[in-house]
Amino acid sequence: MRTVTTSLNPDGGPVAPALRRSRRWVVLAILLVGLALLVVFSTTVGALTGSRVIPWTTVLWIVGYHLTGGLLPSAPCPPSLSGMTCTIQTEIVWGARFPPLLLAVLVGAALGISGGALQGVFRNPLVDPYLLGLSTGAAVGAAILFTFNLAPAQQATVLPLLAFGGGLIPGTVVYLAAGGRARSVETLLLTGVALNFLFSAVLDALLLYNPTSGVQVNFWLLGGLSDATWDRDAIVFGVLLVAGTLIALHGRSLNVLQLGRDVAESVGVDARRTTRRVILLSTVLTAVAVAFTGVIGFVGLVSPHVVRRMVGSDYRIVLPISGLFGAGFLVLAWDLAQSVVPSVVIPVGIPTAFAGAPFFLYLLYRRQGLTGSGTSGT
Amino acid sequence: MTEAPLLPLTVDAVSVRYRDQVAVRSVSLAVPPGEVLALAGPNGSGKSSLLRAIAGLEPLSQGSVHLLGRPLASLSLRERARVVAWMPQEEAPGDNVPLLDYVRYGRFAHIPPLAPERAADVGAVAAALADADVTDFASRGMLTLSGGERQRARLARTLAQETPVLLLDEATAHLDVGHQLDLLVRIRRIARRDGRAVVIALHDLNLAARFADRVAVLSHGQLVAEGDPAAILSPELLARVWGVVAEVRRDAATGLPYLIPQLPLGLQPASVRSPRRLRVHVVAGGGTGVPYLRRLVEEGYEVSAGALPLFDSDSEAAQELGVPVAVEIPFAPLGTEARARNRVLLAAAEAIVVAPFPVGPSNLANLEDLHEFSSRIPIFLIEAPSGASLEFAGGRATEAREQLLRDGAVRVADLPNLLATLAARRGTSKGPVPDGPSQR
Repeated sequence: MRTVTTSLNPDGGPVAPALRRSRRWVVLAILLVGLALLVVFSTTVGALTGSRVIPWTTVLWIVGYHLTGGLLPSAPCPPSLSGMTCTIQTEIVWGARFPPLLLAVLVGAALGISGGALQGVFRNPLVDPYLLGLSTGAAVGAAILFTFNLAPAQQATVLPLLAFGGGLIPGTVVYLAAGGRARSVETLLLTGVALNFLFSAVLDALLLYNPTSGVQVNFWLLGGLSDATWDRDAIVFGVLLVAGTLIALHGRSLNVLQLGRDVAESVGVDARRTTRRVILLSTVLTAVAVAFTGVIGFVGLVSPHVVRRMVGSDYRIVLPISGLFGAGFLVLAWDLAQSVVPSVVIPVGIPTAFAGAPFFLYLLYRRQGLTGSGTSGT
Repeated sequence: MTEAPLLPLTVDAVSVRYRDQVAVRSVSLAVPPGEVLALAGPNGSGKSSLLRAIAGLEPLSQGSVHLLGRPLASLSLRERARVVAWMPQEEAPGDNVPLLDYVRYGRFAHIPPLAPERAADVGAVAAALADADVTDFASRGMLTLSGGERQRARLARTLAQETPVLLLDEATAHLDVGHQLDLLVRIRRIARRDGRAVVIALHDLNLAARFADRVAVLSHGQLVAEGDPAAILSPELLARVWGVVAEVRRDAATGLPYLIPQLPLGLQPASVRSPRRLRVHVVAGGGTGVPYLRRLVEEGYEVSAGALPLFDSDSEAAQELGVPVAVEIPFAPLGTEARARNRVLLAAAEAIVVAPFPVGPSNLANLEDLHEFSSRIPIFLIEAPSGASLEFAGGRATEAREQLLRDGAVRVADLPNLLATLAARRGTSKGPVPDGPSQR
């Protein structure tokens, strides 16, 4: 409220808005740095976590060596380590611990961004990246593989491909449906929900045909980062870079779209094109994530909410920050998944919900009815 | 149709069709810069559809719209948003964004994709905030504003588009009188100052008459009247388009017309209609009917009057008393419409009182039209004050009176005698009759 008085500029010029904006940027910068630090910190913690105890100095040394391409520490390991130990510990830290951590960062970001974008397009805070039937579609893809025991030798390649393909189908159908002139977002949303049920039925039918595959499908669905490799990380990174950036560029359109399609068009936003593009990009992004990690719930739903509460509803800001938040969130969950029971890795979907749900509820009830009021910085 | 192709807005024979239903039928309009055109018409008359069509949100099934001489269909979405701004009747609540950011949305089409805001954009937003008088709320969240503030914020958003054409659909909906006036004054001032062409759909005809340079009236998707509000807003138009009996008066200060609608017959409050009362129709003119109307109403009769010229003291009195009246424009002979409406009132009456009014060629029809009712409804002819002549129609008025008397009309000396006669009739009338719209 204090800003109201300061915005009264005798010359009538836009001085006050500029003032207010600079304050907003400070908040944003703090948030950005904070979240980035969180990601780095939890990644470091993750790299230190494991059944084999490796001193943190060694871990940092190895990570630093690889990250800088052998620049900062010029030797691969601290001089105290023998060549053999160095190879083993490098393999553990950089070869085994790091890829899942990086995958957690990337997938968390992908889910955060696509969740935020889909909530924006559908103007519905209950939407998450899987709502359009994506997870069920991917599960059908995986179930086809397990049920018919296809290509047992190349499973590591074929499984993600099938899951990716299966996940794309419902999203693509909704994308095509969004081409219709008069289609409302409610219709599109319900189309996705209907497809979800349809694929659910297909999945059940497949599992009935070969009940033993049910366990495999379920375990795969639960979500895991353990199968991460550098190659997979690279693929997810590439898709995230392209699709995530393209989605984030729709922030301005998404802002206006919140006022409804007609108002958006009257202001010059191509509502239909925005809707279709964001649906397609989010579907691709999520499908890639699902293909390598299964279904990791909660991140895509919660990240945009939390971020909106912190920075307001400007999608140009919400989308990237939501990605960053999702990344931090998922890495933390992965740290947790590894450390709760020593030497047992819990599917990462479990801690995300276990830790995330209470936190989310706390946020919801702490300041009821003040959604997005943080924007003005008061 | 496009004799002046560079007008901000020309609409040529536009039709809009929703599936099997025609919402707008072949409407043509042209709005010069700086003019406020009010679009009036009952619900469902096609006002919103026409505005949506002009804004490019509804495909035209026929005709064409030109904005600054360019066909609407040839404009890209962004180009369009720089020429025409549209403020809808309803709008999704959206997020609780600060009002300033909300108004900035109006600049979308002015800023190239991925480019930052320029000074022109900042200036346009600041001007829009000032014009809509929302600068003080600029940092408040949209969802925390009151209805009137939000409406002004929406106006600011459309103003920020800096378009030569502004379309405002029910801009004053949800606003109280004070805010309605405020908003309309602002809109008119902005139109004049910037030379913008404004089309505003308005339910309230009084506001339309007051703030618009021209009024276009739509009925069932068709343009039924267009022009200076003072010239076109007539009781006939209201009856025809809205089905409302209303009186058009003139504001003494401005000369602008204003309307006083009446409750539809049969829908009047129960306290007015019941208990069962005798329906009396008064035929008068030139102020002769005033005492009769007043006393009859006071005595509890259900009174109607007509056909009377507008601004006649009789029709003014009838209006004040809430008496339904068939009106004709001043100084014109009674037209078929006024006479038809008078006949409707006559047919519903149970007694007809003919005041001692001067009869000339222009209102002779009032007497002559009574003939067809004389067999069914008792007619009371009040005698003229001694020595006064009521004949200004070359003998035809006297002739009509004689005819009525031959048909069985009763001569009554004056008002007290009339009241006594009517009271007697009321006493003897056969019990309460259910009073319902069926009788009308």
